[in-house]
Amino acid sequence: MVETKESKTGLLERLRNSIPQEWILSLKAPEPRRIFLSVKREHFKEAMTKMLKDEEITHLSTITGVDLGEEIEVIYHLDKSGTILSVKTTTPKSQPTLPTVTDLIPGAPLYEREVHELLGVAFDGHPDLSRLVLPEGWPPGLYPLRREISIENIRSALEKAKEEKKVG
Amino acid sequence: MDEERVIIPIGPQHPALKEPMNFMLKVEGEKVLEAIPNLGYNHRGIEKAATVRTYIQNLYLAERICGICSIAHVQCYAQGVEKLLEMEIPPRAQYVRLILSELNRLHSHLLWVGVAAHEIGFDTLFMYLWRDREIVMDTLELITGNRVSYGFTMLGGVRRDISPDMAARVKKEMKTVRDRTQYYKKMSSNERSILKRTQGVGILKPQDALALCACGPTLRASNIKWDVRREDPYLAYNEIPFNVVTSDGCDVLSRMIVHYDEVIEATNIIEYALDHMPSGSFREKVTRRIPAGEVVSRVEAPRGEDIHYIKSNGTDKPERFKVRAPTLGNIPAVCKMLSDSYIADVPIILAGIDPCFSCTDRVTFVKGEMGKGWIWTQEELRRYANRWYQQR
Repeated sequence: MVETKESKTGLLERLRNSIPQEWILSLKAPEPRRIFLSVKREHFKEAMTKMLKDEEITHLSTITGVDLGEEIEVIYHLDKSGTILSVKTTTPKSQPTLPTVTDLIPGAPLYEREVHELLGVAFDGHPDLSRLVLPEGWPPGLYPLRREISIENIRSALEKAKEEKKVG
Repeated sequence: MDEERVIIPIGPQHPALKEPMNFMLKVEGEKVLEAIPNLGYNHRGIEKAATVRTYIQNLYLAERICGICSIAHVQCYAQGVEKLLEMEIPPRAQYVRLILSELNRLHSHLLWVGVAAHEIGFDTLFMYLWRDREIVMDTLELITGNRVSYGFTMLGGVRRDISPDMAARVKKEMKTVRDRTQYYKKMSSNERSILKRTQGVGILKPQDALALCACGPTLRASNIKWDVRREDPYLAYNEIPFNVVTSDGCDVLSRMIVHYDEVIEATNIIEYALDHMPSGSFREKVTRRIPAGEVVSRVEAPRGEDIHYIKSNGTDKPERFKVRAPTLGNIPAVCKMLSDSYIADVPIILAGIDPCFSCTDRVTFVKGEMGKGWIWTQEELRRYANRWYQQR
């Protein structure tokens, strides 16, 4: 379950000791200065709060959302002294929700809005999940970065929305 | 709503601009109370487009994410894919890429200081800086054959080598750029009209810069010594001596000084790299299929940390390609800077984070009820700002 390669900062060791085993799905450092930590959804917020506090992490580089098919994986790329700690968690695609981290990281709101808009993950407790990057009049419920949505789907949905606007 | 409280939308766009954007400013009299960003006017769906293109096609797509820091994006993408391939590019290729990255930083920084000078009505400095930027553009053209999108970085190395003749000419040009930048820096730190418009304007305190996850020169001008080239070295940055420039003023003037100093540092880095270039090949062949895996890659783009996430499923097309350009990382910081500033300072504060847009081009002022609005262009806002300062 735990795989090591190298981590000069000792961050990998500390995480292994500080985060309870039952919260962790996997923890690995595939190359220097890169750590991937996958945590269970129900312990995600707790783990995040603990890590940010213990390691005094303030920098969130970005949040990536990936459609895995049945689930949506959300990856938080944190920076600890030059090491990117990518914290992963998943949420079911049928009803994707995750607790927000905006209360822990003031720089996070825009990244969460982006994931919400492109993949449809609702972040509980986010102050404002309004439109961010997609145009006004974008068909609601069409999440362009989901796997089943092809570029043709997007094109036809947009044309349809345009027609409806003309009629209405 | 209070009689005195007004909402001013700034932006979104002008067709000629690279990244249009809109800010809703809540103002009371001359004071900005709050700034609410509104992004996406130039969202092109590159992340989706990348998943239906091959890794080689995506090189060109990545280069076109931005017209200014094109080298930074293509470098970030290429180094990510090379990590998936578990390959090291030849040492000479690393040096050539490093030199190009720094030339990219040079022209971007000179462009920015020029824009900043223009925003405060100092067009003479703008002209001088953009003239000198042409030296760098010519150098880039000399090495790559192109001015803007270079098509120079390949998976496994670079397309062409830097010959000794080229190296000699680049070194000569670097001296010119450095000497002139030193003069501009000295002038900018003492010139009264620049000081009046930039000192104490757009304050971003160090603790706010950290909390809002700012990056790049914006962060370093708030006296935080953090640079991807030092913290998470890529290419040959751990073999080359350079300073991470900071400034403690936390204002627009500090941002200007950091940019000047980084230009000077970049010219030194380029000279050192040209002198210490290892010999050997400058590219290696790579396979079209990329092994399954995931990688987080980042570089210090001219505007700050640029981070890419690439997930491969073992085919010749990526499953997911995620890009976070530095400007997005600095948006919360610029909103912080705008709050509690004057309307007249809005153009220079917006320009202050060196955004990949200079977009305060159409400003609508709406006072009180609907219908009592008027529209200002960026030019008018700039004139208003300059007049406002003259009368103070």
